[in-house]
Amino acid sequence: MDVSDGLRRFPSALMAWRNLGRNHVRTGLAALGIVIGVVAIASLGIAGVAIQQQATADLGGLADEVTVSAGQASTEDGVTDDQVAEIESIVTDARVVPQKTNETEISSREGDAYVSVTGVTEASALYDVSSGEAPDRLQSGALITNSTAQELGLELGDPVTYNGQIYRIRGFIAADDGFGPGGGRGELVIPLSGLREQQYYDTVTVVAEDGDAATAIAARLDEHFNTDGRETEEELRIRSFGGAQENINSFMNTLQLALLGIGSISLIVASVAILNVMLMSTIERRGEIGVLRAVGIRRGEVLRMILTEAAFLGVLGGLLGALGSLAVGLVIFGVLTGNPMAAFGWESSRYLLYGFAFAVVTSLLSGVYPAWKAANDRPVEALRG
Amino acid sequence: MSVIELSNVVKRYRSGEEVVEALKGVDFHAERGEMVLVTGPSGSGKSTMLNVIGLLDSPTEGAVRLDGRPVTDFSEDELTEERRSGIGFVFQAFHLLPMLTATENVELPSMWDTSVDRRDRAVDLLDRVGLGDRRTHTPDRLSGGQQQRVAIARALINEPDILLADEPTGNLDQETGRTILEEMTRLKAEENIAIVAVTHDDQMAAYADRVVEIVDGVIQ
Repeated sequence: MDVSDGLRRFPSALMAWRNLGRNHVRTGLAALGIVIGVVAIASLGIAGVAIQQQATADLGGLADEVTVSAGQASTEDGVTDDQVAEIESIVTDARVVPQKTNETEISSREGDAYVSVTGVTEASALYDVSSGEAPDRLQSGALITNSTAQELGLELGDPVTYNGQIYRIRGFIAADDGFGPGGGRGELVIPLSGLREQQYYDTVTVVAEDGDAATAIAARLDEHFNTDGRETEEELRIRSFGGAQENINSFMNTLQLALLGIGSISLIVASVAILNVMLMSTIERRGEIGVLRAVGIRRGEVLRMILTEAAFLGVLGGLLGALGSLAVGLVIFGVLTGNPMAAFGWESSRYLLYGFAFAVVTSLLSGVYPAWKAANDRPVEALRG
Repeated sequence: MSVIELSNVVKRYRSGEEVVEALKGVDFHAERGEMVLVTGPSGSGKSTMLNVIGLLDSPTEGAVRLDGRPVTDFSEDELTEERRSGIGFVFQAFHLLPMLTATENVELPSMWDTSVDRRDRAVDLLDRVGLGDRRTHTPDRLSGGQQQRVAIARALINEPDILLADEPTGNLDQETGRTILEEMTRLKAEENIAIVAVTHDDQMAAYADRVVEIVDGVIQ
């Protein structure tokens, strides 16, 4: 009992299966061509998704944020309490988080590190911690960047000093949050009161739902504070990264299309290879097909038989190609995002499906001409070989 | 009524610049239960005649009748149906499909008819030609004589009215050729079919009910 017995009810499939089994090398090489095409198209698509996801992750939460600082036309060296109150009255649908910033050097037994200091009350709105806590209202204690803490050998509960005041570390900030104000430097986060000698806020961050909301809020603020919208009249400088997110997305879409285009070329090459293989094998079997036609096999049946062969090649190559692409995708996601399992997400795994479908369709298309040619050959001439 | 009848069949075809007249007004018929031998020198037109009888080639002029039905103007698809149901072919070079077992080769002409299962008839025919123990063998594991028996069984699977044989013993030694001819004679009677065979083989005349000689496209 082998596959063929199950195929008896499907004569075209049975004949196609046996025909492919006649020359393993040729079948294998034809399938290999498709495998390479599918791997090319699917893994380039997956790579695009991985790059996009990583780029979005690198932007961090910044896309959802609007950053407000003193504009060029401002007479004050920062954002005033009155302006914060005004912002809060305009932005009712998002959190407004005023901050004061400075820089300092902190030291421990293990060494020194230069860090930026941020004074903020609503620490949880801006920071994710890997251990410890980020309080909703930071009244005492401090948060510090994980890497800086490791560098200095600091642990939860250890003291750090800023401006003569001692703060106990309550949490470690998970990762560099995008292009933070520290610019890759470590960050020390303390209560606003620690920076009370600075009269004004250096930045006010508005944390919105998403990039679109952030863009809308930025526009509203800009209209309120900078009525003529000209750089020289700028009272407050308002920046949002929602637009940056859009730019990245649109760039990524272009990149994706370019990658898929390159992938499709290899699949077209593969389909030409199948066309060649199918054509050669039908020409070789011309006499045999003549016998089939002589003993009463209909033209449509010969056509179906050869198309089924092409479809089998497509399915075989498509399946192997999808498996190969999955392996490549796991590696790509592992390298680019550090999370190989993300390759199974629909965003990227759908390219496996696309690759497979493309393989079957191109194989079928490549089989059409050889099948048509074989089916319509006059039996009396085909019999002569 | 003749199972096959050609009246005044002319077949012309182009060979380069020339027009060759392969059959020049041939009248021919065959009845159930008889074996008719067609002999003649090479190039005499006997293969062309066999192709016309087998509905593989259409005559330029004249008429072809199967069981009294005119099939001269049939389309290729209609001719295919007639070949499938009414005509069996045996070739000099056997022409079995190498990837199919003996049983599958016998079933081949009916393979696409999923409504009828001819497996039992195929096995029965293989038994009758003495290959009951070779059912699952592929052609490369069968001798020439055994392959030709499988080909004869294949020709009979759809219970045809006519069996056409083109040099059926041509690729076999004399001894094996004789057993094949005995097989055909027996099956001719058992299945009540007409056999039309083209041959150069002199020993075949002994098995024929009638011999027709064709020279230069004309029956003598």
